[in-house]
Amino acid sequence: MLVVDDEVEMQRALRAGLSYHDFDVRAVGTGTAAVREAAGWKPDVILLDLGLPGMDGFATLRALRPMTRAVVIVVSVMPGEKDKVRALDAGADDYVVKPFGTEELVARIRAVLRRQADVPSGEPVIRAGDLEIDLARRLVSVGGQAVRLTPTEYELLRYLALHAGKPVTHTTLLRQVWGDYAVGDKYNTRYVVAQIRKKLGDDPANPRYIVNEPGVGYRLEA
Amino acid sequence: MTRRPAPYAVAVGGAIAITAAIGVVTAIGRISGLSAFYLLLVLWLGARWGRGPAVAGSISAFALYDFFFVPPVGTLTVRGPAELLELVVLLAVALVTSQLAASQRRAQATAEALAKDSRALYELATSMLRSQDVTAALGMVAESADRLKGVSRFAVVGMVSGQLVFLAGKQLSADEMSQAQWSYANGKAVGVAIKDGVVVPLKLHGVPTQMAYLPLAGGVAALRVDANNSEPGDLRTVAALIGLADLLLDRRRAVLETERARGFEASDRLKAAILSSLSHELKSPIAALRAGLTALTAPRAGLEPEQRELLTDMDRQAARLDRMVGDMLALSRLEAGVELDREPHAFADIVGGSLRGLRSQMAGHDVALRIPDDLPPVEVDELQAGRVVSNLVENALEWAPATGAIEIGAVAREGRLEAWVENEGPEIAPEDLDRVFDTFWTRRARGTGLGLAISKRVVEAHGGTIRAENRRRGPRFTFTLPLAGVTAGRAHADKSTDK
Repeated sequence: MLVVDDEVEMQRALRAGLSYHDFDVRAVGTGTAAVREAAGWKPDVILLDLGLPGMDGFATLRALRPMTRAVVIVVSVMPGEKDKVRALDAGADDYVVKPFGTEELVARIRAVLRRQADVPSGEPVIRAGDLEIDLARRLVSVGGQAVRLTPTEYELLRYLALHAGKPVTHTTLLRQVWGDYAVGDKYNTRYVVAQIRKKLGDDPANPRYIVNEPGVGYRLEA
Repeated sequence: MTRRPAPYAVAVGGAIAITAAIGVVTAIGRISGLSAFYLLLVLWLGARWGRGPAVAGSISAFALYDFFFVPPVGTLTVRGPAELLELVVLLAVALVTSQLAASQRRAQATAEALAKDSRALYELATSMLRSQDVTAALGMVAESADRLKGVSRFAVVGMVSGQLVFLAGKQLSADEMSQAQWSYANGKAVGVAIKDGVVVPLKLHGVPTQMAYLPLAGGVAALRVDANNSEPGDLRTVAALIGLADLLLDRRRAVLETERARGFEASDRLKAAILSSLSHELKSPIAALRAGLTALTAPRAGLEPEQRELLTDMDRQAARLDRMVGDMLALSRLEAGVELDREPHAFADIVGGSLRGLRSQMAGHDVALRIPDDLPPVEVDELQAGRVVSNLVENALEWAPATGAIEIGAVAREGRLEAWVENEGPEIAPEDLDRVFDTFWTRRARGTGLGLAISKRVVEAHGGTIRAENRRRGPRFTFTLPLAGVTAGRAHADKSTDK
């Protein structure tokens, strides 16, 4: 696991804390060093701080993405949702807002890793609690009860299911479900998600399946 | 004027020439009606030189004709009404033609003067439009007005942050400035009016006023009309010049507004940059602190249980410090005037997002949701509205008994969403019901004293209200948010794309 943070104290604390949870940790302070390490050492997880000096986090992320299949978790002190969206759209797998406790961070990393392990298994049925999505037969059911979705609703749910546990931005959903021309109208995704929730019997104020990521998008609970 | 005798000479000479011609023709053979040639002469004279020469021509023609051709030939006697009529006809033709010609000449002179004026105005307007400096262009207008004989003084004043300042022309006295101010404030012209594109000086008690004032888009034109010296077209030109000044003042106002907006924008960017760097500077040390403290609480770190407990306490304090810093930064942002990113949202969705972030704190509490399915969407900034819900729920969790129930509800009422968060905690003293929203006011040492203050600011930024009250079960916080107006139509449009 590679930690990219320009503060030595942070590097030291994360190296210690994560190694207590059985991670093999290396830490670097710049984007260029991160790219070098990713190419040579091939880490499974990269914890990338967005506020790097010189080559910033976004530039580093863009440089890393084509060369590694590692899970990239973006870390930032900025609570700005625009940064989260930008990072997710640039290929980050998840984001964590600083400051955080080690336990919380470890839980997030494990969740992303578990998810990644699930995806390539080629399983044609995705399950989230009692929700089942049969990708081969395009069938959706809750607790064994079939649910009829419109093609748009199905496409949106399918995309969320394929990335279960990962926050998916409005932009990505619009592009994947409606195509490039729809980008920008977040109202579309909100409307369709509301319809899906209604059909799945999901309460938006206390959702079991599709979770609202305020200012970012949606996440299907894994 | 000095060339006047020549037309008279032409008139008399013309009459003599025609008389001679008639004499020659009559010598050859008798042809009647030749006297009509005199009419031609008189017509031409009237059109060319006006009344005087035409009358002179008529009289000479009549005299010559009478003397040479009307019997008794060689005498100037008028016999009978027919002859008299001939004289009258000639004179009438002379007068009428000259009159017509004169009015036509006057019209032509006016047209030429107008053309000259428009050319001058056109040139002025073009150079004005090319000029980047509006004040310099106003100076050009004032100079042009000064050159007119009918205007003895001309000045333009403009509004600058509620105050009239002198911009161009001849300086105004303090009295005159206050008169201009009055004219601007009341939108009334003083001493002058513009009618059909011409400046018309008004007389007050029969005496022309000293200075006249015309209120314009962003200022006042002050002028003194000198009607005695006025040349034709002067009053029309000055009206056009005032129109130009009006345009320039309008443009000046637009320029000032743009500059001001740019200034605000720059200061907003600066504020955002300061807050963002402040946030980084304050949060980074806390981040390192928490990462370090929580690293050591892992069982593998090999510390004793009481040591771990101590570290956990320290981390809790660090987390509290983090919340406090976060709240203070949020409050600063709100006070710096954030722009709300308003969009239609389902209120339940906002509540869902907020509750997710509070899951660990909510453990053990019974949270009841009373949000109807058919609630119309709200038009809010999702993150800010979510902050209000989070703050109120956090506040409720803090006060509710360990396993106490919390209720979150909403209804649509009078075109607005009314939402509430209620807990079973102790009631708030009646005198504190308003104070709970004050910055840093807190009932307990644990809180930051900012959560409710932030909520109030967010709600008010959306045009809503927030209040605290004691219900039978415990304290309730109620706030309102605007409902989205256009959603029904849009939802319909989205449905149709769903085929």
